Amino acid sequence: MYRGRLERDLAIWVGKGLIERPQADALLAEYDGRESSFSVGRALMMIAACLIAAALLLLVASNWEAIPRLMRVVLLLASIWLFHGAAAWLLANGRRGLAQSALMLGTASFGASLSLIGQMYHLSGDLADMLVVWFAFTVLTAVAFRSGAASFLCGFLAWAYFIDLVSDTPFDWSSLPGVLVPGMAAVLIGLVYYTGAARLRHLAYLLLLGWIVWSLAVEESTRAAALLAVVGAIGFLLCTLPASPLSAVAKRAGAAPAFYAFVAFLIGIGGLHMEFDDAGGRLGIGVVTMAASVGAIMLAGRDNGAVRYLAYIAFALEILYLAAETVGSILGTSGLFLVSGLVVALAAWVVIALERRMVAVTPGGVQ
Amino acid sequence: MKPSLRFALAALLVCLAQTAALAYMVLGRAAILRSGETVMLRTAPVDPRDLLRGDYVILSYDVSTVPASAISGAWPKEEGRQSLWVRLVKGADGVSTVSEAAFQPLPALAGSVVAKSLPFDYWPSDTKSDQRVSYGIERYYVPEGEGRALETARDSETLTVAVSVGGDGTAQLRALYRDGTMVYEEPLF
Repeated sequence: MYRGRLERDLAIWVGKGLIERPQADALLAEYDGRESSFSVGRALMMIAACLIAAALLLLVASNWEAIPRLMRVVLLLASIWLFHGAAAWLLANGRRGLAQSALMLGTASFGASLSLIGQMYHLSGDLADMLVVWFAFTVLTAVAFRSGAASFLCGFLAWAYFIDLVSDTPFDWSSLPGVLVPGMAAVLIGLVYYTGAARLRHLAYLLLLGWIVWSLAVEESTRAAALLAVVGAIGFLLCTLPASPLSAVAKRAGAAPAFYAFVAFLIGIGGLHMEFDDAGGRLGIGVVTMAASVGAIMLAGRDNGAVRYLAYIAFALEILYLAAETVGSILGTSGLFLVSGLVVALAAWVVIALERRMVAVTPGGVQ
Repeated sequence: MKPSLRFALAALLVCLAQTAALAYMVLGRAAILRSGETVMLRTAPVDPRDLLRGDYVILSYDVSTVPASAISGAWPKEEGRQSLWVRLVKGADGVSTVSEAAFQPLPALAGSVVAKSLPFDYWPSDTKSDQRVSYGIERYYVPEGEGRALETARDSETLTVAVSVGGDGTAQLRALYRDGTMVYEEPLF
């Protein structure tokens, strides 16, 4: 990951005499000191907390009669107070890593209490209802403690809710559950900014994407697929065009926004591939896909490795698809590739010329 | 604000909110058990398992099917989420059955209890058909391993449940009977 790359690059720069050894060590030490950097101890503590949380949840599920019912309620309530109190104490004493584990256990205690009440009163309501309540209260925890770990739990609960929804309800735009999923994704993105849990972004975007795909799968219409492709393309352009008002925000969010917008576009285009399955349709869709892949590489390829590789893959798959299905005839497909190749070569020539000129006019640029 | 105070307040806020939410759920259900009207319903179980709440038996009721002929009043014209209000009247054997139902609230009448079904998806059609409804009492959680015993009881014995119905029509399981003998009873808490 990033730390390994950083270490290698620093070694190269030290070797070239660009920076001194002590400076390199200081840079690496700064990185290791960051909240988000990996620590084996913290990771093990978190895994332990996950296991204990799972044990707690299953203990409730076993409906074990050795502990009287009222006692179970009291014990779970006590553990809610104990774990949150411990988290506050640990945070006040600067033990942030342990505090995250305590919050995780506190959140699990609340979930276990919800299960217990469902069990006690035989509430036959769905798992989904319970997950929504659990999610809402975990958001409260994440906000109140500014906790990255609790934010991640929100992400997992939102996903659990979505999976439960997909597995047993037909999709319905007008129903609350259908609208709740993108709402949860929005809340998660808010948490990313508020608690600094940067990687939670992926869970949020994937949730949104999963929801879109689900709704499309239910709609099964050309219009819906085309709509997704258009929305994805607009999202991608908003993230990557320097003139767009959102590009600064998207850049700060890293590679993810442009990448997931591009994924949405490709899913939409993928859906259209199935709809337009005659020679003319394949030609049109094929040209659009290849042009979009090349465009994505030109727009975002330099700064965004994720988009670049996805575009390579999309481009390669499209060529394989067209070659296998052929546009009309093998000869016709060959002609299409020839023309495409010439167009891309022309584009490459223009870009190289532009890059040369940019370097030449930039003051201090290497000639 | 001192950080330690901030964290203590955060813990207090979260704990109070969670405790209040849990207490609200418990007290709401306990209130139905304490003051709701009790009806007996005949049922038959099967035995699955829920990841978080453990083993349970699925109870299906005679009153889960509301015959079209029993439904009075206007039927909804458009599709959407609907609830049925179902009037339950005790028969000679002590078991309650559906006497009438409506898509609008039913008035209280002596000798009967009105239960409200959970919302269900309703599609209008030209022929009025029987409606399948649930009341939120379709699962009975039991200690691990005990569900199977209830399931086998289904074939040879009759299983009945006592259900408390709150003022707003919410149903809450109260006790489970096998051939007339009580096998489980729910305390308030």
